[in-house]
Amino acid sequence: MLGHERSITQIKYNREGDLLFSVAKDTVANAWYSVNGERLGTYNGHTGAVWCVDCDWDTKNVLTGSADNSCRLWDCETGKQLALLNTNSAVRTCGFDFSGNIIMFSTDKQMEILKKAKEHTKQINDIQTSVDLTMFISASKDNTAKLFDSTSLDHIKTFKTERPVNSAAISPIMDHVVMGGGQEAMEVTTTSTRIGKFEARFFHAAYEEEFGRVKGHFGPINCVAFHPDGKSYSSGGEDGYVRIHYFDPQYFDFELEA
Amino acid sequence: TTIRTPTPHSPISLFITLTLLLHFSELLDDILREKPQEADGIDSVVVVDNVPQVGPERLEKLKNVIHKIFSKFGKITTEFYPEADGMTKGYIFLEYASPTQALEAVKNADGYKLDKQHTFRVNLFTDFDKYMNISDEWEAPAKQPFKDFGNMRHWIEDPDCRDQYSVIYEAGERTAIFSNDAKEPITVEERARWTETYVRWSPKGTYLATFHQRGIALWGGEKFKQIQRFSHQGVSLIDFSPCERYVVTFSPLMDTKEDPQAIIIWDILTGQKKRGFHCESSAHWPIFKWSHDGKFFARMTPDTLSIYETPSMGLLDKKSLKITGIKDFSWSPGDNIIAFWVPEDKDIPARVTLMQMPSRQEIRVRNLFNVVDCKLHWQRNGDYLCVKVDRTPKGTQGVVTNFEIFRMREKQVPVDVVEMKESIIAFAWEPNGSKFAVLHGESPRINASFYHVKNNGKIELIKMFDKQQANSIFWSPQGQFMVLAGLRSMNGALAFVDTSDCTMMNIAEHYMASDVEWDPTGRYVVTSVSWWSHKVDNAYWLWTFQGRLLQKNNKDRFCQLLWRPRPPTLLSAEQIKMIKKDLKKYSKIFEQKDRLSQSKASKELVDKRRAMMEDYRRYREEALKIYQEQKSIRLELRGGVDTDELDSNVDDWEEETIEFFINEEIIPIGDL
Repeated sequence: MLGHERSITQIKYNREGDLLFSVAKDTVANAWYSVNGERLGTYNGHTGAVWCVDCDWDTKNVLTGSADNSCRLWDCETGKQLALLNTNSAVRTCGFDFSGNIIMFSTDKQMEILKKAKEHTKQINDIQTSVDLTMFISASKDNTAKLFDSTSLDHIKTFKTERPVNSAAISPIMDHVVMGGGQEAMEVTTTSTRIGKFEARFFHAAYEEEFGRVKGHFGPINCVAFHPDGKSYSSGGEDGYVRIHYFDPQYFDFELEA
Repeated sequence: TTIRTPTPHSPISLFITLTLLLHFSELLDDILREKPQEADGIDSVVVVDNVPQVGPERLEKLKNVIHKIFSKFGKITTEFYPEADGMTKGYIFLEYASPTQALEAVKNADGYKLDKQHTFRVNLFTDFDKYMNISDEWEAPAKQPFKDFGNMRHWIEDPDCRDQYSVIYEAGERTAIFSNDAKEPITVEERARWTETYVRWSPKGTYLATFHQRGIALWGGEKFKQIQRFSHQGVSLIDFSPCERYVVTFSPLMDTKEDPQAIIIWDILTGQKKRGFHCESSAHWPIFKWSHDGKFFARMTPDTLSIYETPSMGLLDKKSLKITGIKDFSWSPGDNIIAFWVPEDKDIPARVTLMQMPSRQEIRVRNLFNVVDCKLHWQRNGDYLCVKVDRTPKGTQGVVTNFEIFRMREKQVPVDVVEMKESIIAFAWEPNGSKFAVLHGESPRINASFYHVKNNGKIELIKMFDKQQANSIFWSPQGQFMVLAGLRSMNGALAFVDTSDCTMMNIAEHYMASDVEWDPTGRYVVTSVSWWSHKVDNAYWLWTFQGRLLQKNNKDRFCQLLWRPRPPTLLSAEQIKMIKKDLKKYSKIFEQKDRLSQSKASKELVDKRRAMMEDYRRYREEALKIYQEQKSIRLELRGGVDTDELDSNVDDWEEETIEFFINEEIIPIGDL
């Protein structure tokens, strides 16, 4: 779907998976029906790039964080802005808690640290939890994604590529993770003749081995997300497109010899 | 006369003073008469030998000549010309205003040829003392303990005939040596900061050379111990002699007029510095080119070709060759023959000359007309020489290229010409055969042509492939097979060719590949993307000689891969023939071995995966247990709504009809 004029920064499904939210550098936040790609609506109000989005468990409220130093709460259905939280600098991550009653956000200048784990050697671009919140996966510029236990912050698995990883997600039903990345536009010094060849990569979560790639984006992939039912996934790219892919039956039968 | 002893600021100067008193009384009288400088006196004196012996009538003239020559290095404060029987003795003493000036005199005037019979020898006076005190009893030097580096050819004895290669990665922080197994590389050695820039193998694979600020180090043997170290501050380039007896190092930092240090030639086994040279121009390295047997090395300077011999390191016949206008030269890789070319000079046409060494006999001279440029390409055994000649024919503006093929093994070295209609991108001889490949044309119409130099005097064009994405040619070191590659700007296009029938075995791609390296046996090819030329996708890929991809090895900031060369085979030509005849018998044994190891590998991988899965499952079970225990908390947080599964709340579901956009069809309604 093309609904953004600039690169996508984050995409997120609601809990039931019927809606897909996308936010981008063009100050716009969109909501789409994931089943047919039709746009439900737009949340207008931010005056700077929108970095993050989240939806509460009941799909009642939507939360966005932006470079315009604000975090905004929206009514999902009507698109009306319900609240505005001013912050002292750009908001990079935001989210609802399990109950939907508490909001968290972090900015370039403030965040409260509960626990720390250093496993990556370069900046971390994205962190996503498993659907049951027991694990999370981090995507880093150091060309790897790592799987952690949420409670202990123990590092469980590493998935290696040869390009910076911008985003990673854990499948809700299979032992798979998906990763998206590529290099930043300014690092590309040669005109690439490989149009449409930026790929999302699939790794086996237990074996740490890559088993598949999906092409299609014209630029680096900035965000990936699995549909809550695990039967499809989405990716948002530097090219401004959000792509929704449904898995063939073979995907679910595929097994690495063990 | 009062004898003023210099203030002893060290026991040595005191000792020297005493020695003087004992041995050089006449000198002392004279020098001290002239009031020496305090403390420095003795260090500023030089002794000049081989001075003409003259009588009093010519003494004045001699003194003037000496003064003129030696004043260049400083202020002469005293001079002493010892005499005997009315003639000067043939040696003199000069004192300078400072020790540094004395040193200058030694450095510059030693070896100065005054005339045919007199070549000055200049020494520091204090050195005499050193030589005076050599004990009359010669003591044999203490025996150095034997440094056992083990079997230096250990890697050749690998029972599975795996070749080694070096890999530099992590942007130069780590260097590793791997053993090439078709399944996956086996680490032999891995060290951090083993080298500061890059590495080089010696021509027969015995040594690995690493670069450091202070010089280079050579490593070898089974454990890659340090064999030798050569101190050359700021070294940037090296070259080995083909026989591995010598190594040549270059550093732009070290050159001084008096002490040539830019290029140093070392004896590898003893570690000795054999000779140093200036380097006037930072032209193409190696500046010194070695003959194939290591007996000679030569370099070119304007209008001059200097050929040196080993082990003396002196000029062959004590003089260089004057060749006016010499543009380029190279040794035959098979014989001690030098090929060089000179451009046109007034009425004399340009020409290529083949010269035999050490006799300097001109074996062949070939005149060339309207030459713009020449490049010399030797076939690896020295069987053929190709001279690529760029000419501007009379009356035209454009540049045409000819290949002049010299048949070295035939009497009187006949030359055949191949005319090329397009500009040449690359040229390469089959290493041990009589074919050559040419890439010509201009992007995007680049063609690859294959020629065969036949025995009957003809050079036949076997095949031409057009519209190739290639800018480089890589022959297998064993001949017959080759890779045409489009490196760097051509995005890594690869074509694997069998030149026995000129067929394309495979066409593939290694995106952004910057290098192609054949293993020494010609079984494998490595293509790689170096971090030095491209900052992402750094990896090296292993292919078979037929172009079947075997491995993709990603390495963090991979920089360079170099195969370890093999020493020449010990088998005779007959033995090789026999083995080739019975090849089927041998291959059966090896095929069985290969199959066994393949299944072993899959078994290893399968076992590994099984273990990983078991661990993972165990972890997930634990996590799930905790998850279940927390169910009540979850229900509470969501007001009693069970959201653990997507279908936990079927009652809550709504039915909705959704429209799908299927197709659009425009049906024109005809004229009403």
